[in-house]
Amino acid sequence: MPIVLVTVLLPIVAGALLLVLPREDRTISRGLGTLVAAATIVTLLAGGHAEWSFRWLSRPFVAAFHFGATPFSLWIALLLTVVTMCAIAACRVPRLRDFVALMLFLEGTMLGLFLARDLLVFALFWDLMLIPVFFGLIGWGEHPATAWRYFIYNFAGGLTLLLATAAFGVIYGSTDVIGRSGAHFAGGWAEWIYAGFAFAFLVKTPVWPLHTWMPPTYSGLPSSMVSVVSAVQSKAGLYGFIAIALALMPQEVAQYAGPLMVLGAISLIYGALVALVQNDAKRIVAYSSLSHLGLIIIAIASGNALAIKGALVYIVAHGLFSAALFQVLGYVEEREETRSLLRLGGLGWQNPRLAGALCIAALAALGLPGLAGFAGELVILIGVYQAGYVWAVIVALVAIVLAAAYLIRLYQDIMNGPETDDVPVRPDLTWVEGLAVTPLLAALIIIGVYPTPLLRP
Amino acid sequence: MRIPHEAAAAAMKIPFTHADWLAVLPVGAVAVAALVVLVADLFNTGRDQRYLSVGIGLAGTIVAAILAARQFGHSHDAFFGGFITGGFATVFQEIILIALAGSLVLYGGIGPAQRVAGMTAIMLWSACGAMLMAGAANLLMIFLGLELLSLGLYALCGAVDRKAARESALKYLILSSTATSFLLFGSALLFGATGSVLLADLVHPWLTFNPLFWIGAGMFLIGIVFKLSLVPFHTWTPDVFEGAPLPVTAFMSVATKAGVLAVFARFIYAALPSGVAERLLLPVWVVAGISMIVGNVGMLAQHDLKRLLGYSGIAQVGYILVALAGVTPLGLRYAIYYLTAYAFMNLGAFAVAAAISGEDEEGAHLSAYRGLARRRPWLAAAMTVFLLALAGLPPTAGFLGKILILATSASTGYLWLAALLIVGTAISLYAYVKVIRAMYGRDEREVPNLHPLVPLAWASAAICAVLVVAIAFYPVMPSNILPLVR
Repeated sequence: MPIVLVTVLLPIVAGALLLVLPREDRTISRGLGTLVAAATIVTLLAGGHAEWSFRWLSRPFVAAFHFGATPFSLWIALLLTVVTMCAIAACRVPRLRDFVALMLFLEGTMLGLFLARDLLVFALFWDLMLIPVFFGLIGWGEHPATAWRYFIYNFAGGLTLLLATAAFGVIYGSTDVIGRSGAHFAGGWAEWIYAGFAFAFLVKTPVWPLHTWMPPTYSGLPSSMVSVVSAVQSKAGLYGFIAIALALMPQEVAQYAGPLMVLGAISLIYGALVALVQNDAKRIVAYSSLSHLGLIIIAIASGNALAIKGALVYIVAHGLFSAALFQVLGYVEEREETRSLLRLGGLGWQNPRLAGALCIAALAALGLPGLAGFAGELVILIGVYQAGYVWAVIVALVAIVLAAAYLIRLYQDIMNGPETDDVPVRPDLTWVEGLAVTPLLAALIIIGVYPTPLLRP
Repeated sequence: MRIPHEAAAAAMKIPFTHADWLAVLPVGAVAVAALVVLVADLFNTGRDQRYLSVGIGLAGTIVAAILAARQFGHSHDAFFGGFITGGFATVFQEIILIALAGSLVLYGGIGPAQRVAGMTAIMLWSACGAMLMAGAANLLMIFLGLELLSLGLYALCGAVDRKAARESALKYLILSSTATSFLLFGSALLFGATGSVLLADLVHPWLTFNPLFWIGAGMFLIGIVFKLSLVPFHTWTPDVFEGAPLPVTAFMSVATKAGVLAVFARFIYAALPSGVAERLLLPVWVVAGISMIVGNVGMLAQHDLKRLLGYSGIAQVGYILVALAGVTPLGLRYAIYYLTAYAFMNLGAFAVAAAISGEDEEGAHLSAYRGLARRRPWLAAAMTVFLLALAGLPPTAGFLGKILILATSASTGYLWLAALLIVGTAISLYAYVKVIRAMYGRDEREVPNLHPLVPLAWASAAICAVLVVAIAFYPVMPSNILPLVR
């Protein structure tokens, strides 16, 4: 069996097999889940690039179950596997076995998405990856209405993606096109097809004004699942823009670059401003995500080659620091049973390791030189400036200053200041919790110092 | 000199050849099985008559399925062009037989214990009618098949002692008869216009100028649209579905659609003169588009699974018609693919409902699904597959079917239908996923008493779930189903 197929199917099958375990076996299911996620890292590195294809449809257009990482998607898939491994290792929720199974299923569907070389398979996994998050929201989320909002928004995007894929297949004759050099699509319907893709990608990323599903979803999900969703699932749209829209229909992207860039800029500023005034710690990170991903949208819209390279660095960096932030905030919430900045305070004195982890993640998020966020931002800004969009660079710089403001506020209100009386004092990070964020923090530092491998593809 | 004379006399007495009878052998097998069921019941004094009747019925179904499959690829005009065997008829007959088998299994599982033999026999004969429609190539055979199907269903709808069932039977009788009369009057006018009952004789260019043809074809199509329960003739469906016994609803929802769609497909593909189809059928496509919206909106407020699937069926027929719009050979294949997928997902959903039901059909109420994932995890998983398939989500055949239908409409230029399909699907999600949420949600409210699992229905649900997923990845589509008439 080809290794790339194993990579996609292993988490899904393992997740299903996990359901056979007795329900009470918490440590075993968590340990097995972590092992499976770690195994996918190995298989991905060992054979993720080797392509495998199996014919699915030959009429009305050619479609195949065609998997295989491109240098670009390999990095995102690697990010996914690492983040999933850390998230499962740290997760502590009721009905753990079912939750771990769901996380593995989520990982498998997203691996399928990023490794797919066929548009139809991409669309299939796109819809499929919404289902575990929906189940997470109804089974472990805070409010059921959130699940609806998530599902309806994202599936509406999925449907336009589906229609666009079908139209693409009929006109172009094949959907087996992702990562194929020289496959350029131009036809009478190209603009509409691009519109269908773009809508799905923009909802998933999200950008203003399609973002309203995102803050309640991110704050409502258990932190281990939201760390995967915000770190990787939100990148599906950006990956789609780069690997599908830019690669297959560059003319249309260029034609509508202006509106795209404006949407990105609005998200950038709007997300930062809202993050400044939120008191819910998870919502601050959610809105900061909106802001940061707006920068990547700007990079994509600029069409500049350097900016796109920077976008990959920033995609990985954002994945790492948002996963780390959500995970650490999850630890905080678990300990203190609240995540309101008004009630938290002074945790740093009792929990130095917790404070250190939050500090590194927050500093990476605000773009401190030497950490991964900075490397990505810098390359993007240079690229966008080269492309001639000076106003966008200025907007981005304003947002970066705002990012420093809200992230420092987040850190200070939780870790510094006087200890509040009404939150119980709990022990510092256990070694399992610490191990679960270490890979993320280490990667942030390594990429911050040496981002070159990421700039190569 | 004597021998030809004798042959002529024999031909006068029995004008049909051996091959003619062979053509309807699958139908005959089902009909004979029904007789055997009745006779066997006379000698059966055991307590549980259900399993004997249902077992004989299933055996007849399997024999018929094998006989029908042997006809695939052997096109033959039987009864002077009245009944055509071969690819198209075979495919639709197999779908009908699948529906029959699935419903019989449910009947064995939860059907009322009394009068089983009679009801089984009627269901088998009803299926005969639908199978005749699958191969019917003249107007009389269409009418014969339709009536045989409908008459059986009237009786089956009222087969339990419930007020709702009697109401359902009466409603179905009156409204369905109205539809039949449209169809019959349309057929009469078509005969008046052409002087022939053969669908093949309708393909004359000069008919375009004959108002009798237009009125006749229009009324014929009204009858068809009525039977397919498209808007504005859809209001009876949820009521009838709700009142009828669960196995009968399962049978009706698939077999009627398959039979009527076969007639419709043969009519539009084979019987319309060139240049007529686009103008004559436009109202049908408009009606299909509206049905996708109305059916899906209607689902939103339902609390009864049978009503929900009734409204769902209105929309699903709309999807299938989108594939047929444009009248392309590929479109027909995709319509058949979707119909097959629909048969499995619909029968599967009914099987899950039956598996958690007792004689009072508690599984028909959506409240029975609250927290099902904790009580019956595998059954809940199967139901999730069926609901995802009905909603058109991966990894199910519903997803691939939708893709294929969208691709067809993109290539034939009916993009407005594709857009309506997308909007309808988006609306339907809420209704389907609401059930999934109820199954997996954390609602701790009181749930109705748990019945012991019905093993037959459980097995049927499992088979359907596997097939719904499997044919998404190995799409089986018959290739040589054309030509439909000669």
